Amino acid sequence: MDLLAYDLWAFVSENWRELFLEALVNTLKVSAVAIAGSFAIGLVLGAARAHRIPVVSQFTAVYVEIIRNTPILVQIFMLFFALPQAGIRLDAFTVAWVSVTLWGGAFNSENFRAGFEAVPLRTREAAYALGFGPLGAFLNVTLPIGGRIALPSSINTYISVVKNTSLVYVIGYPELTTTAINIANLTLETLEALTVLGLVYLTLVWSLSAAIRVLETRLALPEERR
Amino acid sequence: MADWVEPVARYILTEGLPATLMVSAAAVVGSGVIGIVLGTFLTIEFPPLRALIRLYIEVFRGLPILVTVFIVYFGFPEVNEALEFGPLTATAIALILWGSAQVAEATRGAVQSIPREQHEAASALGFGWVGRHRSVILPQAFRRLLPPFVSLLVNIIQNSTLAAVIGGIELLQAGKSQTERLTFFPPAGIGEIHAFEIFAFVALLFFCISFPLTRLAAYLEKRLV
Repeated sequence: MDLLAYDLWAFVSENWRELFLEALVNTLKVSAVAIAGSFAIGLVLGAARAHRIPVVSQFTAVYVEIIRNTPILVQIFMLFFALPQAGIRLDAFTVAWVSVTLWGGAFNSENFRAGFEAVPLRTREAAYALGFGPLGAFLNVTLPIGGRIALPSSINTYISVVKNTSLVYVIGYPELTTTAINIANLTLETLEALTVLGLVYLTLVWSLSAAIRVLETRLALPEERR
Repeated sequence: MADWVEPVARYILTEGLPATLMVSAAAVVGSGVIGIVLGTFLTIEFPPLRALIRLYIEVFRGLPILVTVFIVYFGFPEVNEALEFGPLTATAIALILWGSAQVAEATRGAVQSIPREQHEAASALGFGWVGRHRSVILPQAFRRLLPPFVSLLVNIIQNSTLAAVIGGIELLQAGKSQTERLTFFPPAGIGEIHAFEIFAFVALLFFCISFPLTRLAAYLEKRLV
């Protein structure tokens, strides 16, 4: 109500710092699991689609279209409110990482598919001519080249994964957003809580995108290096 | 079909669907107008203006949209009582803040992709800065903007579900409130849980709206770029 009472420093130096740190750890925990998971899903399913492996590649197409064309919030509701009807009861942490992993995995398999498909067929033929089997050719030729092509878009997906962890607010998992809103409701220091919340997310996201730029130049294919 | 289905479906379609479409329409128009203006300004060589627009873009692309929704819904009224909005309006405003940042970034790229000669030719014909951009540059840039704009539309429609978090009745919240109602004993409900069917219906509605649009975006990407 009155801006004169706005005191960010007092707010941060009060007891809330510990709670925020705990919340940050929870956000990072969910993000880390989800990033690792969506990397694995993306790599395997992306490779399956790029190589048109039967059954797996059709399954992947359906999975990707379902995830991409429905809101992630609806997916979270499905996991948390609808699955118990089928007798499957998941706790908030499980729903948190499963939902963002499924989401990130779908987008990431598209990133990797595009990356692998961008590897010229001739390169693969050259690998076969050199005596590599299908798996050897993938691991030694397609993956190192296609993986690097897919790198920027896949890191953008990881950034979105981190941002999407905020959505598990709706199931009450005590990550950053849930904690900030709870503190705001408790103390009525809404603006301070929202400021801290926003600054923490911006720091996370901005440092991740700064890391991308470094990684991008270091892992860029030789012909793209400037 | 069971008796409970018809009223639930009717509520979702008559109360939820129009709200989702209205929030999305407002957000798309707002994002488009503000984003194109900001993106065009971003191509002007004037460092302070550029830094300001950059900051706007980086902040609203960096924040999770849910956090922006909370800032608008809970934070704005604290600053000034005139800035108090209902859940649906607050969501639309948050989506415009996010969407316009996306559009601005895309517009900058599109405008800068137009060859310098086009600017020079337009200047030679006597166009000023505004006329040059309105009549020559932006119409050409618009072709490149179309595919990301359709993707933005899909994203905005899906993210309009964030209104449910602050209690705005759109598709998802309409489904949720019906799910809760059915668990009550008669006469309000039927004392049964039908969360799975109802949320699957909501998901299906979103799929039917989004799928043609994502196809269209992929098609435009192939045709226009």
